[in-house]
Amino acid sequence: MNGALLAVREVNRTFGSGTAAVHALRDVSFDVEPGTMVALVGRSGSGKTTLLNVIGGLDRPDSGTVVVDGLEVTGLDEDGLSRLRRDKVSYVFQTFGLIPVLSAAENVGVPLRLARAEPGDRERRVALLLDLVGLSDHAQQRPGELSGGQQQRVAIARALAASPRLLIADEPTGQLDAETGLAVMGLLRGVVESEGVTAVVATHDPVMMALADRVIQISDGRVPAC
Amino acid sequence: MSAWPALHWPSIRGRARADAGPLLLVACVVAVVALLAGATPPLIRTTSDEATRDAIRRAADDAAVRVESDWPDDYGPTGGRLRSPRLADDVAGIGSLAKSDLDASLRSALRPPVTTVSSISMAVTDGSVQRRLQLEYLRDDSGGPAVTWISGRAPGPATTDQSVEIPLNGKPWPMHIGLSEADAKALGAKPGDRLPVQDERRTPYDVRVSGIFRPVDPGDPAWRLAPWLLQPAANRDGLGSTRFGGWLSDQSLPDARLAFRPDQLRRTVRFDADPDRLTWKSAQALAEAVAALKGGSAVSAERDDSLKWATQLDSVLRDLRAQIATASAQAAVLLIAVLAGALLVVSLAADLLTRRRTAALTTARQRGASLPGLATELAIESVAVTVPAAALGLALSFALAGGAALTWVLPFVVIALAAGPAFGTLAAARATRDRRAPANRSARRWARRTGQLRRAALDAAVVALAAGALIALRQRGIGSSADGDVGLPAAAPALVALAVALLLVRLMPSATRATLAMALRSRRPLVLFAAARAAATSRVLPAFALITAIALASYAFTLNATTEQGLADGAWQSAGADARLTMGSEAAGATVPVTAKVAAAPGVRNVVAARVVENERFIADSTAIVARLVVVDTASFRRLLAGTPLPGLPDPAGLTTARDGTIPALVRTSDNTLRPGTSFRIPLQTNSAIPLVAVGAAPPVGTGDDVVVVDVAAAKAGGLAFEPDTIWATGPGAAAAIQASGADGRLTTRAGLLDERRTAPLTAGLTRLYLVAAAILLALALLGFALAAAASAPERWETLARLRTLGLRPRDSHRVAAGELLPVLVVAGVCGPALGALLAWLTLGPLALRMLTGQVADPAMVVPWWVLELGTVGALAAVLAAVVATEASVRRRRRLGDVLRAGGG
Repeated sequence: MNGALLAVREVNRTFGSGTAAVHALRDVSFDVEPGTMVALVGRSGSGKTTLLNVIGGLDRPDSGTVVVDGLEVTGLDEDGLSRLRRDKVSYVFQTFGLIPVLSAAENVGVPLRLARAEPGDRERRVALLLDLVGLSDHAQQRPGELSGGQQQRVAIARALAASPRLLIADEPTGQLDAETGLAVMGLLRGVVESEGVTAVVATHDPVMMALADRVIQISDGRVPAC
Repeated sequence: MSAWPALHWPSIRGRARADAGPLLLVACVVAVVALLAGATPPLIRTTSDEATRDAIRRAADDAAVRVESDWPDDYGPTGGRLRSPRLADDVAGIGSLAKSDLDASLRSALRPPVTTVSSISMAVTDGSVQRRLQLEYLRDDSGGPAVTWISGRAPGPATTDQSVEIPLNGKPWPMHIGLSEADAKALGAKPGDRLPVQDERRTPYDVRVSGIFRPVDPGDPAWRLAPWLLQPAANRDGLGSTRFGGWLSDQSLPDARLAFRPDQLRRTVRFDADPDRLTWKSAQALAEAVAALKGGSAVSAERDDSLKWATQLDSVLRDLRAQIATASAQAAVLLIAVLAGALLVVSLAADLLTRRRTAALTTARQRGASLPGLATELAIESVAVTVPAAALGLALSFALAGGAALTWVLPFVVIALAAGPAFGTLAAARATRDRRAPANRSARRWARRTGQLRRAALDAAVVALAAGALIALRQRGIGSSADGDVGLPAAAPALVALAVALLLVRLMPSATRATLAMALRSRRPLVLFAAARAAATSRVLPAFALITAIALASYAFTLNATTEQGLADGAWQSAGADARLTMGSEAAGATVPVTAKVAAAPGVRNVVAARVVENERFIADSTAIVARLVVVDTASFRRLLAGTPLPGLPDPAGLTTARDGTIPALVRTSDNTLRPGTSFRIPLQTNSAIPLVAVGAAPPVGTGDDVVVVDVAAAKAGGLAFEPDTIWATGPGAAAAIQASGADGRLTTRAGLLDERRTAPLTAGLTRLYLVAAAILLALALLGFALAAAASAPERWETLARLRTLGLRPRDSHRVAAGELLPVLVVAGVCGPALGALLAWLTLGPLALRMLTGQVADPAMVVPWWVLELGTVGALAAVLAAVVATEASVRRRRRLGDVLRAGGG
């Protein structure tokens, strides 16, 4: 665990009870080194999303611990989790989750507003990130005016806005065609390197697996010992 | 293959189970509205019947039908007067004749007639002051009120001779009378006594007491026509006078006929209206019968023995008809308002249900369910919810109001039945139709513009309909139909509310975009998120329903407040002060001492005596004007008016001084014939006239529109001398002081008038309906707000969950949720009451509230801004807080991961 940005230890998560209980995660343990990109792969229902939710503090495990950048996520209260998500962890979802009435630039600036960044700093950072994801020319367009791939790139830029230590992406190419998905994968790989961020990406995509520094297989809620 | 669409019963049951809450809400709304819409018309009918009876009771003498007939000549062969021994039968025959002349509908609504023969009032010249004697003969269907003779005997004939002719200028013919115990005691008379009486010309009469009687039933209605027969009556013939009654029998009546000149003995048949036999419907037929009767009546100036009919019943019924027509129309306005609000809320509920079901309906459609099949399934559910709820409302209406107006309920129920299936089927059709957005940008723009044009056409149609209804209302008025028929004018307030709300809602996206632009410049992220959510979820129906319902609720509240204030103002206007004493002209000489006595009483602030002459005739530039003339000490009157909410009396120079015999006057005429500067005159019978000049504008005095006020000093100087006959007094003790003064006359108190008008069936019923309609509309608005919040909740939760993944704190997410719902609340809370006030302003005249408030002109509009704003905004804020708290509680139970997963992530 020494030096790991993310340490997951014996995490268990069960939904329901009795005979209807579903063991989504069973004694899951692994570490992720800083600046690496990890692909979390497994079939549908294998527990990928549950694991990502537990790592990001969106869900609490029944047992076990998750430590992100030295901070034990499983021990945080709601405010602590909010701070964690604001300062250290960010997400990219399959459905982008952009605010439809805000422009691409304004969407990217949302985390910076939450972090109470100065307007000037915010604008500079937003411009930088839009440039990074190749959308400088589309800064004033609203999500409805962008393609799926462009929207996901805006979502990635937004996830990077507050300079997180850990980027969690759940099937980020799930709603994109192959070509656009490949471009988005490449972008993710690029930002991991350029921004020095650590990424855990749940995916089915073999291309993504190829781009990842490491692949973690999950099956029936179990992760084989690494 | 069956022609019927295939139904999937498990889906029907499953949807109903899953959405039991919203369906129950729809059922509640339908039941409440069916109850109100069903019960109001029968209640109006019942109230109209009650108002009819109440009006007849209050009208009392005015509602009675009187028949007079002059005596036929009784000259004998030698030029003297012949005694008619069978005169009592002749008098009874007049009653029978009058009864036979009555229309059947009229006869059934009137009590049996009482025929009276009344003499002039004679002075008792026994040395006592102001004792008067009036002889009375009473005859009803049973012969006359029964009496027991406790001493002496019943009055008998003065002669046993069957045919007596007396000379015209002979000595007074004797007549026998009976006296009641009380009258006899007060007069100190006993059987056999002769009462010394004489008329105004000092002609003596020979009146002999034959017996003392006691009434068998003092409550017999016949006695009410001459109560002085039983008890001495004070002040009937002037202040300080006491009237006694001498009872004439069948036998002594012929002697009275001989003893008096024909014009000194009046025979009258009186039919009292029986309020308990009248309904509003029968009263309408009655009014026509009375009008026909009066139309065919002989003229009272004619000196013959034909029947001369006189009654104010037709005018009482005419006023009542106008009042009931006004009240019915106002009730229709309120019902249409409630139905409009209810339909919008039912539509909101249908929208909520559809939003909850869109995914399931889409899936069902994709799996092969046909649109007719889905529509039928939804219709079955709608029937199962709406029909029992409507039946419950109607059953309650029958139980509470004794009937239900299906014509009002059915259209609402049909729309409520259709709303859910229509919305659901449309959503399923849209979700599965094979129509894609065109790839071409200009084609997309064309499609967008087509949609905009369609919306604009719809908006224009609604606005045109509302404008048409409003114009019809303002031109034709609203009280044109007393039989409950309502037309477009009655729908005007609801249509105008819908049209203006629609226009406001169309402006909302621009407003939310402007708010968002401002929020983007703000350094507060929560403001931005709330504004962004509000802009993203700005939908037409919720805001439309909310603004309309609150506007109509505010309208009903405003009408109620205006009516209440109008009643108070009307009572001030009618009474002219806290108390008014109107004395008969014969008692007017006592006004000055009574005024002094009242002024000295505790609790009296101001007292003023005046002479009020109704319908005085004035001439200005050859034009005759009929107005109320008030001769009063203007300085005192000004002081008195200053202590009341009534308009003050101006004090122009020269008001109190007559110049060159011309009397200065304050004037007010509805047609502006008299205005400051106008010279006019009062014509006198001597072919001369008293000149007047208008020096200022008079305030309204009493309920008339035309008035001339003259200062008493100037009037005297100008030769216009009048004894005061009216006393106005203000102060908490005014009424008691006038009563304690013992003055004769009619006392009118402001508080009594107000209470009488406020509790009148129509007014009380309508003010209750204002409040009930306002409360229901407000409840519908709150329900609509909650439904709208529930409909947008899933999207809100998902967005908030995403913002939480970006670091938004849980408590801040509550604020964002509240902020998202706030614009609709603010628009409805600010624009709703303002729109309600606008509606009241636009429709106050046509609504003719003055018919209920007893005012000359329409009451001034009273907008209870504080109540409206605090009530609506407070109630909406409470619902907002409850919605946010409920959502937060539900969100707390669900993990962020679940929300995001459910939201599609």
